[in-house]
Amino acid sequence: MARFLIVRLSLIVVTLLAVSVAIFTLIEAVPGDAASVMQGQQATPDSLRNLRAQMGLDRPPHIRYLDWIWDAVRGDLGQSAKSNASISEIMGERLAHSALLAVLAFVIAVPLGLVMGVWVGTRADTKMDRFLTMGGLVTISLPEFVTGVVMILILSSTLGWLPSSSIMMPGESVIGNPKVLVMPVLTVTGALFAYIMRMARANVIEVMESNYVRTAILKGLPMRTVVVRHVLRNALLPTITVIANNVGWMFGGLIIIENLFAYPGMGSLLIQAIDTRDIRMLQSTALIIASVYAFSNLAADLAYGALNPRVRLS
Amino acid sequence: MTQALQQDAPLMQVEDLAVTFYSPNGTFRAVRDASLEIARGEVVGLVGESGCGKSTVAFAMMGYLPGTAEVEGAVRFEGVDITTLSTSELMELRGNRIAMVYQDPVTSLNPSMRVGPQVEEVLLRHLDIDSDAARTRSVELFESVGLADPDRIGRRYPHELSGGQQQRVVIAMALACDPHLLIMDEPTTGLDVTTEATILDLIVELKDRVNAGILFVSHNLGVIARVADRVAVMYAGEIVEQAPVRELFKNPSHPYTAGLLSCVPQPPGDDGVERQLSSIPGTVFDAQTEQAEECLFAPRCPLAQESCTTQSPPLVDTSANGHPSTGSGDHLSRCFFPGDVTSNLWGEALARVEKTHEQDRGPVLNIEGLRKFYGGGRKKYILFGPPVARPVRALVDVDMKVGSGRTIGVVGESGSGKSTAARAIVGLEPKDRGSLELHGEDLEGNVHDRTEDQRSAMRMVFQNPTASLNPKLPVGHAIVRALRKFAGVNKQESTQRAEELMEAVGLDPTFLDRQPTELSGGQQQRVALASAFAANPDLVVADEAVSALDVSVQAQVLNLLEDHQRETGNSYVFITHDLGVVRYISDDILVLYAGHVAEYGPSQAVLNVPSHPYTEALLSAAPVPDPDAKPTHIRLEGSVPTLRGAFTGCSFAGRCPRKIGDICDTTPPPTQDGPEGDNHFINCHIPISELESLQKADSGARAIAG
Amino acid sequence: MATGDSTIRPQASTATGVAKVWHAVIAFFTLVLRTNTGRIGLAVVGIHVVLALIGPWITPFPPTEYHIQDQYSSPTSTYWLGTDEKGRDIFSRVLAGARSIIWIATAGTILGVTFGTIVGVTSGYLGGRVDQVIMRIVDWFLAIPSLLLAILVINMATQRFRSVDESFIIIGIIGISFMPNNSRVIRSATLAIKPLEFVQSARLRGEPTLYIMFREVLPNVLPVVGVEATIRLSFALLLTAGLGFLGLGVQPPEPDWGKMVSENAIILDVAPLASLAPGIAMASLVVGINLLADGIRQAQNLPETGDR
Repeated sequence: MARFLIVRLSLIVVTLLAVSVAIFTLIEAVPGDAASVMQGQQATPDSLRNLRAQMGLDRPPHIRYLDWIWDAVRGDLGQSAKSNASISEIMGERLAHSALLAVLAFVIAVPLGLVMGVWVGTRADTKMDRFLTMGGLVTISLPEFVTGVVMILILSSTLGWLPSSSIMMPGESVIGNPKVLVMPVLTVTGALFAYIMRMARANVIEVMESNYVRTAILKGLPMRTVVVRHVLRNALLPTITVIANNVGWMFGGLIIIENLFAYPGMGSLLIQAIDTRDIRMLQSTALIIASVYAFSNLAADLAYGALNPRVRLS
Repeated sequence: MTQALQQDAPLMQVEDLAVTFYSPNGTFRAVRDASLEIARGEVVGLVGESGCGKSTVAFAMMGYLPGTAEVEGAVRFEGVDITTLSTSELMELRGNRIAMVYQDPVTSLNPSMRVGPQVEEVLLRHLDIDSDAARTRSVELFESVGLADPDRIGRRYPHELSGGQQQRVVIAMALACDPHLLIMDEPTTGLDVTTEATILDLIVELKDRVNAGILFVSHNLGVIARVADRVAVMYAGEIVEQAPVRELFKNPSHPYTAGLLSCVPQPPGDDGVERQLSSIPGTVFDAQTEQAEECLFAPRCPLAQESCTTQSPPLVDTSANGHPSTGSGDHLSRCFFPGDVTSNLWGEALARVEKTHEQDRGPVLNIEGLRKFYGGGRKKYILFGPPVARPVRALVDVDMKVGSGRTIGVVGESGSGKSTAARAIVGLEPKDRGSLELHGEDLEGNVHDRTEDQRSAMRMVFQNPTASLNPKLPVGHAIVRALRKFAGVNKQESTQRAEELMEAVGLDPTFLDRQPTELSGGQQQRVALASAFAANPDLVVADEAVSALDVSVQAQVLNLLEDHQRETGNSYVFITHDLGVVRYISDDILVLYAGHVAEYGPSQAVLNVPSHPYTEALLSAAPVPDPDAKPTHIRLEGSVPTLRGAFTGCSFAGRCPRKIGDICDTTPPPTQDGPEGDNHFINCHIPISELESLQKADSGARAIAG
Repeated sequence: MATGDSTIRPQASTATGVAKVWHAVIAFFTLVLRTNTGRIGLAVVGIHVVLALIGPWITPFPPTEYHIQDQYSSPTSTYWLGTDEKGRDIFSRVLAGARSIIWIATAGTILGVTFGTIVGVTSGYLGGRVDQVIMRIVDWFLAIPSLLLAILVINMATQRFRSVDESFIIIGIIGISFMPNNSRVIRSATLAIKPLEFVQSARLRGEPTLYIMFREVLPNVLPVVGVEATIRLSFALLLTAGLGFLGLGVQPPEPDWGKMVSENAIILDVAPLASLAPGIAMASLVVGINLLADGIRQAQNLPETGDR
């Protein structure tokens, strides 16, 4: 177990180094650098040169990369080109907001999706099953921004129950303002829930057809016991793998939803950085998103190992 | 329970059972007419080829058929018709009064649950005991089915057990609540012969110990002969014959039964003459056909007359029907002419045509020191992680020669390396070391690097006929490609040659344009043979080529192989686990164990005393389709070990019943010449003469060798 | 032609290329029409495709034409779905948007799936070192969430290669970001086919590796490729629309469904249809594609992989 963790963590380090190089390169390749962005129209060749020297932008790219990554490792992500604020500080707050959104959605969608999936999976080919699988398919197909817009229209514009966006005053926290959370959370939850339900259902159906479930039924066990003792674990295992493999897709959904609701998280920060051409901010945001992604993949692997007796984590 | 079980009623009575499955793809009449009775303390064998409905009968006795099935007739358990019971009433019976042992134990056990709790949950469900008592009882059960270390085995997961152990767990599970009826559905199919023998021993022993009626379903006549008291033969969903086991094997009164018996390769008779195999022409009945007012076996039957195709024969008592009767009313046959079923029905039992061997041409294939190891050395990740485990010794320094026009049989349990040998010979798995010579010419390890002529001279036939043909391409594809590659013929001519080849293997040439899925397994294997024979190869490597086929079809293919050899003088390397088949087809035999040669020599020499202790154990384990065969007693537990890294000693030492001491573990066994000296080699520490006297003393073990 | 030859047999090899394609098309439709979901999906997608094709002939107004006097119009007989803040006809814009999104998503999917299939079959069939290297590269790709990668690439590419039409950049991005997952799926399908005896037989016949990969193995993986392509198509649509929504898609004034939803979300109270209409169009298209994919999958009895 310890050995597995060490190997996986060192792999993550290698992966993140590669990813950071990719991010750095992709952003460096954009025409114009931080200095020209900061000075905008007033820039003269001289002032630009001075500012570049002052910011260290005249050094060769690999040095600047090493500088950036070394600072990042020590927790210093530099200053925003726009507001001069410390990126690390902004990032901490934004990351907490995004995490809150994701965790809330996860906590609601995963258990609910699994329970519903198992429930319909054991009732395959009934009317309820057909209704729910079809409904699930439609829900999965809906783009997040469409669900979100419909929700704003109903819950905010028409009924006026909730604010249509999550914009907050500086210093305000999401915790103190739970209303702004409702719609973003519901939007993420919807698609995630439908997706997990369908996966769980498909795997339950497959396990139900297995020989060992037949054995369990022919032991004379009641259906409830068969499902709880023999179907669940074996069906959840592949379901979790599939969910874990698709964490990246959920990250994508978060980016879009945060932007729709102007929710102060990492996703809206990312697009904000692009729009304002805040290069340092963009690099740091991308790096943090990639890191969180890598660690959530590891968490998924650990969960899989814990459930599967055949995988001895070594 | 609405109807009380009556202890004095017959244990199990199946009356006029018919089961039809309805699906969007059509109607499938799995069981047409089955009546069967099982009493307590009795083992009834239910035998038949694939698709004859025997498993459906077994599951009908559990009341376990899918919702799409329509059941007619009655299945009475202790007087209560199971087909009328509610789910909760069935739940009371299942696992408690009626229990089942399944084919393929590995998939029948829950992979993510320790085996102990899997047994305990049956006890907790049906008996009024607490979990401590259940645990104690499960240990007793494990002990009673002969599992070593019964106290701790319950803590294991199924994948940590061998196939034999898994099946013992399943049997323990079935015995848990002392069932009155035990249903065993092909319980030894898929297990190695050696494991099969130990499981059969257990079942025979159980039969005396538990007072249950047993239904034993199998396709294997040898297995049935070993365990059954009475036998019912099924064909196309009908029970066509039913008789006490001895009576059925000695005096079959249905042509199908007689045919099945003559399809199984038998040891030579008392006169020492081997018989030519008979085969049943045609293919197994297609159950899609709905109603039939005819004898379903008529299309394949040598006795069939006009009347057989216009009405279906009733099940009649033949014990007083001019047959040498042994009992009264207990021998039933569904045939109009049971009196005409004689031992010569399927052709005269001819002595086999002796092959003319062209010894002077030298060996076709000469193998020396062939070696293949798997894995090892590489790191788990490109830069990180421990190295992968030490290499697996799949094949270690194997020598053999294949004479021109001869057949060499390669035998061993799974894991013995016989398939690796086949793949290394044809070049699918490049050898690590050693030499392969075809007609004295060195062969490259990888088939890719060999010359077109070499590839054309050595062809291969595989086990699984369905996978041997590309499902997305027409049947003729493989044959035409082989012709164009090897015979260098143009498109026009290749079609013509392909048609000739199809006829040569007994198939309609119009099949060439069909899709492979339209053909039966036997037909697909014939196509595979036609493709292998396309360029008149000198050597055909057949890897379990008849193992997946039903006995009646297996005999057809074996005869086809022999006929081709007689005509063209080609050689075969015949890989199989079936000793009966090997005995029938081979001139020479190579016995492999864990990648090492145990014994090698002419068939007669290998099959007779003295032989390697492993050969002896294999022979002892092989089921014989003769109820009077003396039970043998040499048994191997466990399975072939995976040998890794630097291994010294005798590979068989760990399981050898004749192990003599530490020398077996530490020193590689010497190669000893057989007593006749005719190129017969035994790799064993025990001196030949001693082996001979030991084995002669255990003559019981040699019942099969005659 | 009447000759003396008495034996007549069907000759599969005489079928022309056109006939083969025709057969494949017919086979596809019979497959799709076998299930209810397939039928509904086909109908929905069919309507979209037809509307997109005939769009330029039935749009009442040019999609970029301003009608300043008719801002925020409700649906009327002139403006069927109303107008937006600049008075542009929403119906015309939705129709025009269909063309670009269907073209971009389809082209991107074809690119990604073709590329992924070639990589997957190669990697799976060849195995060994080649496989290890390819799969490692795929792992690197998967180490970044695909939308993040797409955002970074498009941010870079649109500014660096200003002369290139954004649609081609997006097509390229879809192709690249789908390749890893797609090649993984195709690789595992190939791994299931590779050990089968007919592949071994082909090796024993001495067939060239390329022949085995693409003549013997590929036809057996095609059902998986088909399902993959349909599922990927729905992701491609979502990705394209998502990029548009984030302002990174097709640049104004060309209509883009995602962009329409986001820029009109602020006028939801006055002209709800301005963002609802493209949203619903988008949703129905994706639902249709997913139903189609599900129908194909069910008809072929393939398991649900659920890869995103």
